[in-house]
Amino acid sequence: MAMLRESQIMKIHYITAIAALFVVAVHILMRLIMPYSLSLEYGNVIANYHNIPYVVLLESILVLIAIHGFNGLRVILLELRQSKAWEDGVIILTIAAMMAVIAYGTRTIIVASGLGFE
Amino acid sequence: MEVADRNNREGIMGWLNPGRYGWERVSYWLQRLTGVGLLAYFVGHIYETSSLTQGPDAWAAMLELTQTPMGHLILLLVIGMSTYHSANGIRLIFTHGGKGLGKPGRPDYPYDAVSLNYRQKSGIWIALILAAAAMLYGASVLLGGE
Repeated sequence: MAMLRESQIMKIHYITAIAALFVVAVHILMRLIMPYSLSLEYGNVIANYHNIPYVVLLESILVLIAIHGFNGLRVILLELRQSKAWEDGVIILTIAAMMAVIAYGTRTIIVASGLGFE
Repeated sequence: MEVADRNNREGIMGWLNPGRYGWERVSYWLQRLTGVGLLAYFVGHIYETSSLTQGPDAWAAMLELTQTPMGHLILLLVIGMSTYHSANGIRLIFTHGGKGLGKPGRPDYPYDAVSLNYRQKSGIWIALILAAAAMLYGASVLLGGE
């Protein structure tokens, strides 16, 4: 089932972790450049989504954390039990969940930024 | 004992046993717990922010649910989990690359693992201290009334 060696997958796991650290730090700083409660007001949040570099940042956070998080879940589930059926099931489940989360999050980003469909 | 009689499949109970291998086992356990917790928060956060697409009223209704004392406590926990997971994760990246493990030595009684040295232990403590500091700062922002 595996298309990549486990060592290659772990390199992806570490690279997504380090990259996510930087982009999430910027995402958190955007909540702190004004009083926290003010930063959550609808107008301010939508203004963030109309800033194209910030939209790119949000999409990269979404993809990086989805890959890192669901691969982490895959590793945990494979540590708990080992069999061909279990391994295949876990890989299919985690990839499907990762793609669903990325698709749903991307839809929010596109709609909120006014770039696409409603 | 017959090989067939051995029950090595401890499953989640083996995973949850933090006492058998000392601090590194605790760190292993926390890394997985915080990882699962952060993944759950990530999925919840994506669902939460999707209310933006339904207009200001839906966003305000979602904020009423999440911007509560309980919501802030959960957010503080997320701050602590993410800081620990990041700091300990950096330690693990170095460790998996062979850094900070020390030199292999002769196994002498009481057979402490050479790899579990002061560098590894201090890395775990630094991750815990950073998590506590981040939670304190997060509390000052979230509960400080700004």
